[in-house]
Amino acid sequence: MSATLDPVAGAGSGAPAPTIASTGLTCPVPVATHAHVVLGHGSGGKLSARLFAERFWPRFGNPILGQQADAALLEVAAGTLAMSTDTFVVRPLEFPGGNIGDLAVNGTVNDLAMMGAEPRWLTCGFVLEEGLPLEVLDRVLEAMAAAARATGVTIVAGDTKVVERGKGDGIFINTTGIGMRRAGWAPAPDRIRPGDVVIASGPIGRHGTAILAARDDLGLVTTVTSDTAALWPLVDALHGACGDAVRALRDPTRGGVASTTNELAKSSGVGFRLDEASVPVPPDVTAACEMLGLDPMYVANEGVLVAVVAPEAAAAALAALRSHPLGAQAARIGAAIADHPGMVTMRTHVGGTRVVDMLPGDQLPRIC
Amino acid sequence: MKFLSEYRDPALAQALARRIRETATRQWTLMEVCGGQTHTIVRQGLDELLAGAVEMIHGPGCPVCVTPLEQIDRAVALATRDDVIFTSFGDMLRVPGSDCDLQQVRARGGQVRIVYSPLDALTIAERHPDKQVVFFAVGFETTAPANAMAVWQARMRGIRNFSVLVSHVTVPPAMEAILSAPDNRVQGFLAAGHVCAVMGWTEYEPIAARYRVPIVVTGFEPLDLLEGMLLCVEQLERGTHEVVNQYARAVTREGNAPAMRLIREVFELKDRQWRGIGTIPMSGLGLRPAYAEFDAERRFALEDIVASEPVECRAGAVLTGQLKPHQCPMFGTACTPERPMGAPMVSSEGACAAYYNYGRFRTARAAATAGAGT
Amino acid sequence: MCLGIPGQVVELRDGGLVPSGVVDFGGARREVCLAYTPDVGVGDYVVVHVGFAITKVDEAEAKRTYDALAAMHELGELEAMREADATLADLDALPSKVGPGIVA
Repeated sequence: MSATLDPVAGAGSGAPAPTIASTGLTCPVPVATHAHVVLGHGSGGKLSARLFAERFWPRFGNPILGQQADAALLEVAAGTLAMSTDTFVVRPLEFPGGNIGDLAVNGTVNDLAMMGAEPRWLTCGFVLEEGLPLEVLDRVLEAMAAAARATGVTIVAGDTKVVERGKGDGIFINTTGIGMRRAGWAPAPDRIRPGDVVIASGPIGRHGTAILAARDDLGLVTTVTSDTAALWPLVDALHGACGDAVRALRDPTRGGVASTTNELAKSSGVGFRLDEASVPVPPDVTAACEMLGLDPMYVANEGVLVAVVAPEAAAAALAALRSHPLGAQAARIGAAIADHPGMVTMRTHVGGTRVVDMLPGDQLPRIC
Repeated sequence: MKFLSEYRDPALAQALARRIRETATRQWTLMEVCGGQTHTIVRQGLDELLAGAVEMIHGPGCPVCVTPLEQIDRAVALATRDDVIFTSFGDMLRVPGSDCDLQQVRARGGQVRIVYSPLDALTIAERHPDKQVVFFAVGFETTAPANAMAVWQARMRGIRNFSVLVSHVTVPPAMEAILSAPDNRVQGFLAAGHVCAVMGWTEYEPIAARYRVPIVVTGFEPLDLLEGMLLCVEQLERGTHEVVNQYARAVTREGNAPAMRLIREVFELKDRQWRGIGTIPMSGLGLRPAYAEFDAERRFALEDIVASEPVECRAGAVLTGQLKPHQCPMFGTACTPERPMGAPMVSSEGACAAYYNYGRFRTARAAATAGAGT
Repeated sequence: MCLGIPGQVVELRDGGLVPSGVVDFGGARREVCLAYTPDVGVGDYVVVHVGFAITKVDEAEAKRTYDALAAMHELGELEAMREADATLADLDALPSKVGPGIVA
């Protein structure tokens, strides 16, 4: 276009003067198609709306979310609600076996499940870092949607904010979940009695090892993948088979089976005695942990539960777990005992006794 | 895992433990000077299997724990600098200095990175030419070849922004210091298998002869340790004091020649401070003058940073077997695994940390037994 | 300061200042400097500490160590069995007590 924007210059040259409408003026520079998150995505304006419409809605879409009201309205039957919240930060965001989105849904779903509550609704709040590639966001949202569908939870509310480059690790996600407790069943550590059987639903040590190996500064090449999964189906199966003979449930996330059993021991006031030879550890986890000097008992899991069940129900509990793909390798790993209340000991591979203590902090790769 | 799992066979372990108990006509006191061996003993509960026949004293075998307070403070000072990327083995991060530890420096914004191999630190230096990369070269003789290689390659490849903060210690002088202490209780030693894989065992022969103690070069798996203890007990029963090699699949008398060559090329012996023990003459390694430019203490003028250890800490007595952890006045009160004062509480396998947990269990069991009896 | 793990050399690499290769530890793999074990080939086992092979595993010695332990275990079981037999024989009022260590 050769015309200038100067109406005066245009007049008198014989060419029709370009007109400028006095209303509806917008900046002629089109809204760019961004490949990365920019600050505007969090501002609540058009960019935010587009982000939601183009990326969140197609994946999470449901009638409640569709109302786009200030709050979601939920109809609940009488009973006890369980509610839990968790915030997810992980580096790297994407790792063998999943991404932060899987953790964000499954982690909160599992916290509800450990209370014997069927997960129903989830909120998700995002803090995105300026510069995050949108295709990463897409994969995270895809994973969340798939995880939610698999478990039957509905994402009913959410929020997105953006922080400046350097002020966030790519993505932080907070999810809050609400579930409905099954009537007549309230799994809790104070129900544990000496003689109860301790069961692990599957092989341990996968998630934490996969994360550590994915940070390529250790140079480790391994086949270990994260075990992130929603555990409600296992809990449902356990309840169906054993009812309230399932005394307590807990998922051994940060700190691993060692920390979880310690927490149960302290809360319940009984002791635990585990059997090292019975704890299922996949060979590739063993190999990677040997190399780094890590103890799989302290490594985080995201798809395993620890169940404490009355002794007469142990066989039925194992059968129920093993009938589900997630629980195929469920194993009895120990028992609650009257000895040393609040402490966890373990019969070692060679028949000695070891105290399984709580670590003061994260396990670090060691050289000695 | 091959050459690993078979040395954890429970039936063989029980058989070895039984043989040790049958062979010993009295209780013998042995010491291992190796963090890895202490780890196995504590984590597998081997001392329970040997009750009455062998008392194991966990010696100062963890180089992480015996790194002097001063070196930690120097590490912290370096890591705090904006122009430095401080690299280290993982287990160094939680060792407390006078003020804080490396993990806290990282929390405050310092660039601290865990590496698995010293060569990874060199790679980081190559990738960040605008920064100074310092590697915390800690270890016994086992790690000296690796650290020597990093320094040697830095020189060969002209990687000028790389330097090392050295805190290397050697085992034989520590053994002698323990054996020459007036109230020494140690009657036999398990020598660290991987230290000997590098250095051979010739250095131990004069020690065995002078102090008349059997020394058995021992591996790290439960069967290795039990067999090592058995060989030691058999000698004690016989009254012999020789150096014997249990870890034959990995150790030869002469050691690893190319490794020793590069250690000698890059390092020289010097006096070293051991946290909780004090200075042991000629017990450490330092960079030779030819490699002095890679010495972080010189490059960053750290000599002014000095530290003295809390006088209440009895780590030295614990590490040499003169004191049991619970006999230390700070034990469990001022000094816990969360807030350790000295070396043996720092590492989870250190004598004090191990006792802190195992001891609680023994106390609880004793209380339960006492209660049941009333 | 000893965390050394045995692994199998699966690949040798050229091009660095010193020999290196890839070692497999029961499924986990890592690049390892082989400068201190210049004679190893693919298939050999080495002990690796902080990314360096510090020694080759002597497989014959490994077998010998393990076999000796196993033999000792069997001998111990044989002795235990003999003790059990002897106890039974005692019940038949043998004049002398048979103890361990007496080879028939």
